[in-house]
Amino acid sequence: MSTSANSTSQVHAVHAHGKIKKQITIAVAGNPNSGKSTLINAIAGTRLHVGNWAGVTVGKKSAFFEYEGTSITIADLPGTYSLSPYSQEEIIARDYLVHEKPDVIIDVVDATNLERNLYLTTQIMELGIPVVLALNIYDEAENKGFKIDFAKMAGILGIKVVRTIATRKTGLDDLMRAAIACAENPAAHAPKRLNYGGDIEASAKILEDHLRQDHPSVAAAMPPRWLALKLMEGDTHVLEKTGLDESGLLGKTLRHLRAAHGEDIESIMADARYAQAAGLTREVLKKPDIRKLELTEKIDKIALNRFLGIPIFLAAMWLVFKLAFDVSAPFSDWIDGVRSGPLTRWAGVLLNALHAPAWLGSLAIDGVLSGAGFVLVFVPVISLIMFLITFLEGSGYMARAAFVMDRLMHSIGLHGKSFIPMLLGFGCNVPAIYATRVLESERDKKLTAFLIPLMSCGARLPVYVVFIGTFFAANSGTALWSMYVLGIVIAILIGLLLKATMFKKEAPVFIMELPPYRMPTGRDLMIHTWQKTKHFVVKAGTVILAMSVLVWFLLNIPWGVQNKKDSLMGRMGQDAAPVLEPAGFGNWQAASSLMAGVMAKEIVVGTMAEIYAPKKEEKKDAPSFAEDLKGIGTSFIQAVKEAGSNVFGGLGIKSLSSSESPEEKAGHAPLRHALLGAFTPLQAYAFMAFVLLYWPCLITAIAMKQEFGSWKIYGQAVLIHSALAWTVAVLIFQGGKFLGLG
Amino acid sequence: MKLSALKCGQKGRITKMDGAGPLKRRLMDMGVLVGEEVKMEKVAPLGDPLEVTIKSYKLSLRKKEADGILVEVVA
Repeated sequence: MSTSANSTSQVHAVHAHGKIKKQITIAVAGNPNSGKSTLINAIAGTRLHVGNWAGVTVGKKSAFFEYEGTSITIADLPGTYSLSPYSQEEIIARDYLVHEKPDVIIDVVDATNLERNLYLTTQIMELGIPVVLALNIYDEAENKGFKIDFAKMAGILGIKVVRTIATRKTGLDDLMRAAIACAENPAAHAPKRLNYGGDIEASAKILEDHLRQDHPSVAAAMPPRWLALKLMEGDTHVLEKTGLDESGLLGKTLRHLRAAHGEDIESIMADARYAQAAGLTREVLKKPDIRKLELTEKIDKIALNRFLGIPIFLAAMWLVFKLAFDVSAPFSDWIDGVRSGPLTRWAGVLLNALHAPAWLGSLAIDGVLSGAGFVLVFVPVISLIMFLITFLEGSGYMARAAFVMDRLMHSIGLHGKSFIPMLLGFGCNVPAIYATRVLESERDKKLTAFLIPLMSCGARLPVYVVFIGTFFAANSGTALWSMYVLGIVIAILIGLLLKATMFKKEAPVFIMELPPYRMPTGRDLMIHTWQKTKHFVVKAGTVILAMSVLVWFLLNIPWGVQNKKDSLMGRMGQDAAPVLEPAGFGNWQAASSLMAGVMAKEIVVGTMAEIYAPKKEEKKDAPSFAEDLKGIGTSFIQAVKEAGSNVFGGLGIKSLSSSESPEEKAGHAPLRHALLGAFTPLQAYAFMAFVLLYWPCLITAIAMKQEFGSWKIYGQAVLIHSALAWTVAVLIFQGGKFLGLG
Repeated sequence: MKLSALKCGQKGRITKMDGAGPLKRRLMDMGVLVGEEVKMEKVAPLGDPLEVTIKSYKLSLRKKEADGILVEVVA
């Protein structure tokens, strides 16, 4: 993290529009599940900007706005239990606090879980920056019969304490005013020094004095007391950053401490901080004598029950899947229909009116418009899945899902929480990659993202449908099932392989809080869904548009090419064909179609149809503009109805069925005829397996880039998956031939 | 005895924590400290991980991690 230029802890006064304005930076810290995210959403709302912390997969939220005449920059730190240097989140949070030196820290504390939350507070207070404590979820604490003497709490800690209920926007004005007041006069609001007991304090004092005297530059850059305590803990991260070493007085003091306490100085510090948190909790919190069985415990008696836990989980997953894909599919179809129908016609009319040359019309319609349509088709499914994932997380069920599935997922080196992203992969790999966000460690995220493309997504179905309908009509169910199973089996094998190789070093841990069940607020759900969808459209939009135009050029160069075989794409196909020979489909048609599939796998079918059985131009009477407009409206209503009937009409997942409508069947007839001449059943099966496994589509790539901050992981995935696809297809074809099936 | 050996509903007091480094630190940061009282709540349907109550919140951890935590049973 860079140390920015404006890292003074003074309140800045800037001249804007002729009058003096105050400008302050607020950092928001707190435990996971403390309602921090809800609080930030309630304060900043749509002004929140979402991105990633530099170079890591941890999300960063910040906002810039004006509040009662003060310019506020608010930075949301990752939710952490501590500021120790072990998890990525903790390092980010403390580096920000130490180096960026915000004017004030808002520490969000869950009032129902004081002691553990105050443990982080003690660490935040060591930094010497003014702290305002937001005693959040106050309503729930009151419902439990907790009485918290917050005035006493403020007195003991020497910081402002404000009661808040972020879900109802209660107390937020008081919180902001308290924060601004602290920032304006930091000297008067310096947090108290918590006394960790004789030995620790004496050693800390020696170290602090030593730092100030002998390392003034280090002591000026970081809070000396904090530094002293971290050095005592043997914090390697701090040693590295400051360039200090354990020689001289520093080493002598540390050795003295270790001699007195053994090597386990870390536990002593944790104990001392927890003792402070526990002592404070005892002073200010009165709990009712009789403890009722809480709602969360009642729900968990059933939801995590030994016999019911798994069936309930599977039912919940079925519901998520059905809502996500069966509801979004009609809307995606509608968007696609509007794009390929009315919009294309209108663009044609407009281009004609402008006397645009034919090539420009083709580029605009087949390149630009279809590329844009391609991005928009994903909007319904991505927004729905983000909504559902936010709900699962916010409600507390995500942690239970991980608890139930961990044993199974752990056996292939994954985390319990990996299950849901993987499952979503069967619908569409793109939102599944976004859903890896629910995982905490980088290792688990990456490993899961590697395996998701092996889950056979909905875009691969059209390929199976055409090939199975042509070659395996008698056993269509089994043939389709075998594709899904093939994907899963290979995912398990690859999971085991990666666990033992690429991801060997990082040991997976599973230490997870099971937070109380809570109803997520509509505001949180909307903000998260909106942000992710917007992000996708903007980021994916540009890349897909560029790729779509590129593919158009590949198909139309050399200029005016008539036969697809002679286009650049066709020639690339011819060059690549020999590589595919051992897999049984070493012809340019198959190779070119597979290349076009880099955009999305369903494009393989469309390209094959164009190559094998070019459609003749149909001359139909174009509907009028008014008829088109009406058509868009009625087809939207149709989509709403269809989404409704998908949800309530039966248990099956419609978006996973391989049935074709009569029109689709008729439309594919010429292609089928051509395929029967070009492929044997064995070659067709090897081809399907190849389509299942080969490189993840470009939109998945963009999702990977967005989540992991670099193209590297996609590059690795392309290499691994393509090699895998080739190997499996060759094994199927050669094995089949050997068995006499060819 | 090991924490993982507690029966559901049984309470124990932590007497010793094995190991070092990130895992131990993470546990300590979550309030798993020597002298602390833990209650075994549940075992996941497939036999792993476990759910315990500590410092009045619910924590889940794998048996492997719970094996390094020693407890004495309290009534």
